[in-house]
Amino acid sequence: MAEEKKKRVINRLKTMYPLRALVDGTYEKAIAASREGKPVAWCMVNWWGGDAILRAMDVAAIYPEDYGAVCAAFGAAPAYLASADADGFPTHMCGYARNCLGYAAQMKESGDIPPEAPMGGMPRPTLLLGSGYFCDTRYKWFQSLGRYLDAPVWVLEMPHPGVKESRLKGAREHDISFLVAELEGFISFLERLLGRKVDRDRLTEIIDDTIEMNRVWHEVNELRRAKPCPMHSRDFWSSMPAALYMAADPRVTAGLYREMYDEVKSMADSHLGAIPEEKYRLAFAELPPWHSLGFFNQLAERGWNFVVESWAYHPPKPIDLTRVTNPLERIASLTYQYFTGYFEDAFATGDWWGYFAHPYLELAREYRCDGIMLHPLLTCRTATNHLMVVQDQLMKKLKVPSLIIEGDIVDLNLFDPADALRKAETFEETMSHYRKVRQAAGLAW
Amino acid sequence: MAETGLNRAKEICQDRAVSARELKAGGRKIIGYLDIFPVLEMMTALDLVPYRLLGDINEPITRADTCLPTVVCPFLRSVMDLGLKGKYDFLDGVVMAHGCEVSEKTAHIWRIYLDPPYAHFLDTPHTTHPSARQQFKALLKYFKETLEVFTGKELSTEKLREAIRIHNRQRALVRELYHLRKPDPPLVSGVETVQVLIALASLPVAEGNELLRQVIGEVKQRKNGPPGKPARLMVWGSIIDNTALIDLMESIGANVVMDDTSLGSRAYFPPVEPTDDPLDGLAHRYLVALNSPRTFRETILNKINKKDYLTDLENRFGYLKDYAREWSVNGVILQVLRYCDIHGYEVPGLSDYLDHIGLPGIYLEHDYGKAALAQLRTRVQAFLEIIG
Repeated sequence: MAEEKKKRVINRLKTMYPLRALVDGTYEKAIAASREGKPVAWCMVNWWGGDAILRAMDVAAIYPEDYGAVCAAFGAAPAYLASADADGFPTHMCGYARNCLGYAAQMKESGDIPPEAPMGGMPRPTLLLGSGYFCDTRYKWFQSLGRYLDAPVWVLEMPHPGVKESRLKGAREHDISFLVAELEGFISFLERLLGRKVDRDRLTEIIDDTIEMNRVWHEVNELRRAKPCPMHSRDFWSSMPAALYMAADPRVTAGLYREMYDEVKSMADSHLGAIPEEKYRLAFAELPPWHSLGFFNQLAERGWNFVVESWAYHPPKPIDLTRVTNPLERIASLTYQYFTGYFEDAFATGDWWGYFAHPYLELAREYRCDGIMLHPLLTCRTATNHLMVVQDQLMKKLKVPSLIIEGDIVDLNLFDPADALRKAETFEETMSHYRKVRQAAGLAW
Repeated sequence: MAETGLNRAKEICQDRAVSARELKAGGRKIIGYLDIFPVLEMMTALDLVPYRLLGDINEPITRADTCLPTVVCPFLRSVMDLGLKGKYDFLDGVVMAHGCEVSEKTAHIWRIYLDPPYAHFLDTPHTTHPSARQQFKALLKYFKETLEVFTGKELSTEKLREAIRIHNRQRALVRELYHLRKPDPPLVSGVETVQVLIALASLPVAEGNELLRQVIGEVKQRKNGPPGKPARLMVWGSIIDNTALIDLMESIGANVVMDDTSLGSRAYFPPVEPTDDPLDGLAHRYLVALNSPRTFRETILNKINKKDYLTDLENRFGYLKDYAREWSVNGVILQVLRYCDIHGYEVPGLSDYLDHIGLPGIYLEHDYGKAALAQLRTRVQAFLEIIG
């Protein structure tokens, strides 16, 4: 850690720290809630609807996906991975999931939170909230936890729009009705489980604050188009969980994002970048190697500024929901916007080639990227299965080259920073070359 | 003279494209489909030939590397590879569903790189919630709509009912074929069964039914069926679209008498129940009745709102106990393609369940390649020795 501190060349945003602290604090709060006999939920990212309902019902929510990153960063993951492996979970499966399954196995064995658990650990859950979007792991993982936990699982269903079929007449309305019905179903489930009713007025407040929180967070990221970019991906990754996981009252979180907006705006206005000398602007896909984030400092020393990341971790593009009277429909519409926000643009420009891949084209163009670092995760299909298409299409359409660095979000053994750095050095020539190619092709950057 | 029965099935299995090209030359429109969730009846009702997309274990994957990375399902990579190499160039279109996350992406990637005249992605909910059932029925209406536009024909309720009848007939005939595996020794081997299943996946449903009738008649009459062996295995897990793995097991002392895989019993066993609106019956069959680990089923909680693990396992795997009893199974092969998350997550739970019901099982992970079979052979051999 000390060595990393000495080498740090990225100007970290001051306003990032309280946002990260919100997420870190969820573990302490959940433990306190558990001790007081209050319900605790382990949740998958569910794009806000489920989170809002849990908060309105005073259920402490924690997110084992985030905890996977925490365990990776604290070096606690290998022991949990080993437990999951020993119990027969195939090693090719999600590192976050295997970390959590191993954690739960140890929890079952010891009867309590494993003693070495970082951040105080995750307390035993009252329920598990899975979700039906993006990856199969989001519900299979929680179903598998039944081996160690007796908490019921609720899977919040979601459609997979953003494809050609979503353009069929009435499809959007069907999908949003489906999302609303699912949220109502979750409320009924929770009310039965907890023996009390949700406070609908409180729920409405939380939903509206959630929409605002995401809007402000979006505006922060818009500022990163500035050259030099005032906010590095490391600050994005530290700040995103507060919104993605609804770590606190969204009104509080929105306030902290506003402070971040002011800091980033001030830097952009003063032409201050996140690194001393921005030679190359890069996008990053998908999740980073949480165990080796110091790697980005080494790249920063070489003038690499990471200016934008995968759309999937960004807030949705803002939409006007003022005419939508039903609060559940408002939050469902926000979720739907998250799924489809890039789709209309793609369709309009004739560049449509898949909701999962097209956004990178837009991001590379809008943030004037010289290259993209693709990080195929050897244990994650979701973060990997589209990357070849992204690589191919970015080159074909925008002459933006890709650097592929294989690794994993949790498993340190699958990432080789020295090799990655060697590849990066070579990639600088490639980026410089394609700058000229783009100029010759009349592209704007 | 044209082959019939088992020989015909074997012939088709050896080169599936021959029959497809004949159909195409005869003016039929052929629609490729992936996995078990595209609703076949709707295609059949419009005189389209549903043709299942399968991989080829003998064909090295070379072209698919450009669009599907090596850390995803090798079967789907093989399918994509064949598509990119033009081996599915007789298709008039494709229908792909959300059978799993990677198959969903494959649907879109296929459209990007192969741009077929017709393509439909059938989103498929992950649960059997009432809202999910309603949603799936709505999605079937969209599927019907795009098929009608593509064919220029109306898909009437009568045509749909007739297609359901003929597909249900096929399901009943497949069950009958599977019943012939119950005696000891079984009347039809695991390899022969896979060959028939691959042939069915390559033929219009009526021709498939005729083939099944021939096979069933032949098997019942022949005197030289497979020899009895001490091990009677059930194979569970990822798709098996070739005979290599089953052949390996049957060549070293086992009769493979039952399966729970998506080309086999999983695809055929539940029929479509009659409903006033046939779409209701189809939505129920494909979303609720099909037993696939990709569909999440809630377990009823106990009196203190907790989930009991064994109850959950019974809820998820209880049908396998029935299969084991009916087919006199004395060992289970849990085989999972590397990077198949849907099945991978099931392995510890299913192993626990098999322990609970006293049925031995072994887990095999493989990479859809013939090279790895030698290692599997040793492991299967050891397992067969254990179960005696």
